[in-house]
Amino acid sequence: MSVFAAAALRRNPVWAQLLGLCPLLAVSNTVANAAGLAVASAVVLTGSATVVALVRKLIPKDVRLPCFVLIIATFTTIVGLAMEAYAFALHQRIALFVQIIVTNCMILGQIERVASQERVGRTLLDALGTSAGFAAAILVLGATRELLAVGFPLAAMPAGAFLVAGMLLALVRVVEERAAKHRSGNPGSPR
Amino acid sequence: MAARRVKAMQGIAVLGTLAVLAGGVLAWFSQVTEDAVQHNRKAAEARVVRELAGADVEVAGVAGEDDVLFCKPGLVVLRGDGRGYGGAFRLAVAVRGDGAVAGVRVIEHRETPGFGDILNAGAAWLDSFRDGKVHAVTGATVTSTAVIATVERLTARGRQEVCLR
Repeated sequence: MSVFAAAALRRNPVWAQLLGLCPLLAVSNTVANAAGLAVASAVVLTGSATVVALVRKLIPKDVRLPCFVLIIATFTTIVGLAMEAYAFALHQRIALFVQIIVTNCMILGQIERVASQERVGRTLLDALGTSAGFAAAILVLGATRELLAVGFPLAAMPAGAFLVAGMLLALVRVVEERAAKHRSGNPGSPR
Repeated sequence: MAARRVKAMQGIAVLGTLAVLAGGVLAWFSQVTEDAVQHNRKAAEARVVRELAGADVEVAGVAGEDDVLFCKPGLVVLRGDGRGYGGAFRLAVAVRGDGAVAGVRVIEHRETPGFGDILNAGAAWLDSFRDGKVHAVTGATVTSTAVIATVERLTARGRQEVCLR
């Protein structure tokens, strides 16, 4: 499996690793908000991972975490400013969740695990894959909630976020188990 | 001992350099976006005033002080800042000639999403100012009492405006 697909699917940050759930649950009430956060997260993730991969050999091990957070925070602030300047309506709705991308464990995890160890090309692919996986997850959740909210207003409310996300997660697990059973029928196929 | 000190100095040097670079990038980018951001904020403010006053008016003024945005006999629109749970907020109040509140709109706020929803346009809570019976909101006590205090301050100021009569 290519680096991109592995990061997006098998190691999907949301459905496989359960990372980045706080903004996911908070902003997934509509597709538009979900798309806004997905783009913001993708820019921060890809940008900071690339920078870390470029300077990884210059950063001493002891201060790597503050360095990573500083780089992530810089990108987050840039995205926040760009949003306020060029997408003001969206900014007014999701600004707070763009700010806390800084503390998104999905991004710090990606940088600690991939960007600080791998070369730039591989890091870039992996970061793009993770971004795509996060975008897919948050868009599916946003679309499901917006559709369900037509009949069940609860789906658009905070409690509905947990319910819908839990059901989608269960669905993913069922599909995965089916696929695993199917694979065990023909041994030798890679997982 | 010496090796440890060198290591510590290295860490400080790297982190310090990185911080200076990050600061430079941010200073540059905030300058690039400043005009657009100011333009957006003014446009948002003008939209709110149009909603309250029903007139196309030029909004100019200084930040941080209560400000008369629009005034004609029978209606005055004021803008003012307050401090809520998440930081400063800015709102506009329309006051009628008889001293009653004609409308309240929040121009910008940083209250926690969900709890701060009572401040969004179209929320019933803001409309309750027109009836003069406003209750603090459970779960958003700091936000709602701060908004009530700011509206009261602006309303009192608006009633004294000469152009209202």
